[in-house]
Amino acid sequence: MILGGGECGRLFRNFEWSSTSLGPYESWPSELRTLTSVMLGSLQPMLIVWGPDQITLYNEGYAQMCGNRHPAAFGHPFRDLWFDIWDQVDPIITAAYAGQGTSMDDIQFTMYRKGYPEETHFSFSYTPVRDPWGTVLGMFCACSEITAEVLMRREQQTIRERFMQVFELSQGGIAMLSGRNHVFDYANEQYYAMIGNRDIIGKPVADAVSEVVRQGYIDILDGVYRTGEPYVAKNVEIELNRGPDGEKQNRVIDLAYQPMRDPDGRIGGILVQALDVTEMRADEQHRELLSHELGHRLKNQLAMVQAIASQTLRSAPDMQTARRTLSDRIGVLSYAHDAIIKGGNGSSRVGDLVAQMISLHDDPNAPRISTSGPNLKIGSRSSLSLSLILHELATNALKHGALSVPEGRVNLTWGVMGPHQDRFDLVWRESGGPPVISPVSESSGTRLIKAGLAGTADCKVEFTYAPEGFNLIISAELAGFQQEH
Amino acid sequence: MAQAQKTRLLVVEDDGLIRLDLVDILVDAGFDVIDAANADEAMVVFQNSQDIAALLTDIDMPGSMNGLELANRIHGQAPACKIIVISGRYHPDTDLLPSGSRFLTKPLSEAAVARLFADLELRPH
Repeated sequence: MILGGGECGRLFRNFEWSSTSLGPYESWPSELRTLTSVMLGSLQPMLIVWGPDQITLYNEGYAQMCGNRHPAAFGHPFRDLWFDIWDQVDPIITAAYAGQGTSMDDIQFTMYRKGYPEETHFSFSYTPVRDPWGTVLGMFCACSEITAEVLMRREQQTIRERFMQVFELSQGGIAMLSGRNHVFDYANEQYYAMIGNRDIIGKPVADAVSEVVRQGYIDILDGVYRTGEPYVAKNVEIELNRGPDGEKQNRVIDLAYQPMRDPDGRIGGILVQALDVTEMRADEQHRELLSHELGHRLKNQLAMVQAIASQTLRSAPDMQTARRTLSDRIGVLSYAHDAIIKGGNGSSRVGDLVAQMISLHDDPNAPRISTSGPNLKIGSRSSLSLSLILHELATNALKHGALSVPEGRVNLTWGVMGPHQDRFDLVWRESGGPPVISPVSESSGTRLIKAGLAGTADCKVEFTYAPEGFNLIISAELAGFQQEH
Repeated sequence: MAQAQKTRLLVVEDDGLIRLDLVDILVDAGFDVIDAANADEAMVVFQNSQDIAALLTDIDMPGSMNGLELANRIHGQAPACKIIVISGRYHPDTDLLPSGSRFLTKPLSEAAVARLFADLELRPH
């Protein structure tokens, strides 16, 4: 009798074999006895299926795979054990009985050997067992547990998939090159977008993206492959035939070549990371330019305010007048500034500036200032000057000129003039006022008016103290008048 | 005692208001000041007036040349003429300025102008 074998050994020894087609143990062929002894002595899960009735014997290791079908299944036909998956088991057991061995790499079982359901994996081989004359007597099966390997493989697979996801979702272009000819193994969407969606997998860089050869990139890749030193460069200007019809375009990229080592430590390929920063760099430059321009504009405006303050204080009869005049003038600049912000792009509209002056100095219920002219664009520097000039003209008219009496009127007109339509002319004509007298001394307002329109190359300001009314003509070149900054 | 000859300055600035005020400040300080609204105009003024002691010029101005070019031209013609460059935009590269020239930033402070004039030994008479 066979010794050992734990619970299955006891089961085997106590089993009433004579009640089965195998007959009493003593009548068993030597093949079955030997295999049973081997099986019960082995720590590896093993199974024997014997005779035409496919009577099943197994050891402790295999019993765990049977779950709650053990111990009932022991000594009974194989089909009773695996009735629920018989359609899968039947072909291979039938093949074994026909003399055909089968091996299966990975069969999954849920086992309860640790007190809770556990996913396990086994590899099997079904081996036919023959008598010396070649007749198949039964089947012997040895199993190996591969749960750990399967789970590790799955883990690696998960990690690889996760990396691939990271690569795919990366904002930058990623490609993997293999071998000394730098053959494309992989490229993500961004990389394809960067090079213009060309077919590159399986091709060397020098063929797939041939325009980089003369730009020296193959030499750099060769260097990384040879030395194992990574290559990193920012703001690289590169020419890529990425247009819709393969035409070349210049891009700016941040580039990194990272050597990738094979398991044996040798360099087997290169990881390419390329971030297209063309738009980003252009935006940065634009922002820099803008802040530079803003700083410049601010300093010019401060210089202008300084000049206005200085001129106001210089000629004011007393402190109170100076304070009021100065605060009015700075208020006008502030309104003009609002109009520039509203206009965007460092410009406003003549109509807006005129409307501002009217709202400050005329009564909408009994208007005395009539205006006409196109709503021309006006650059920021000229905007500030024109607002100030209109304000001073209106102030002077209210104080000494036509608007100092109820029946006085002002006619304000402007437009594009000159034989080449390249000048801006503005005419302020007063009528119906008190007798006109040429002032003996120049007021600060008059001086501010005479300073003309800032930003224009040649601005002429002409005062006429005509008997029928004061009038003024400003004429400036249109290009400077409309220049944005 | 005979009236001493006033020191003559040439002010070049395209913004009329700022030019007006700078001229006022310098006239009040006792200088004889000629002004121009751009570099081309300044060049004409300079040719017609040989005794200009110093040029004060803005950089960014409309016309065929800017203030830096004007400064270099005048320095080439009259090396003794002192040069002061004024801008709100940037401090120019010293290589672009004639040797010995100075830079002032906008808006100008009267104290800074006075210090610089003292440094350059520019006096009204």
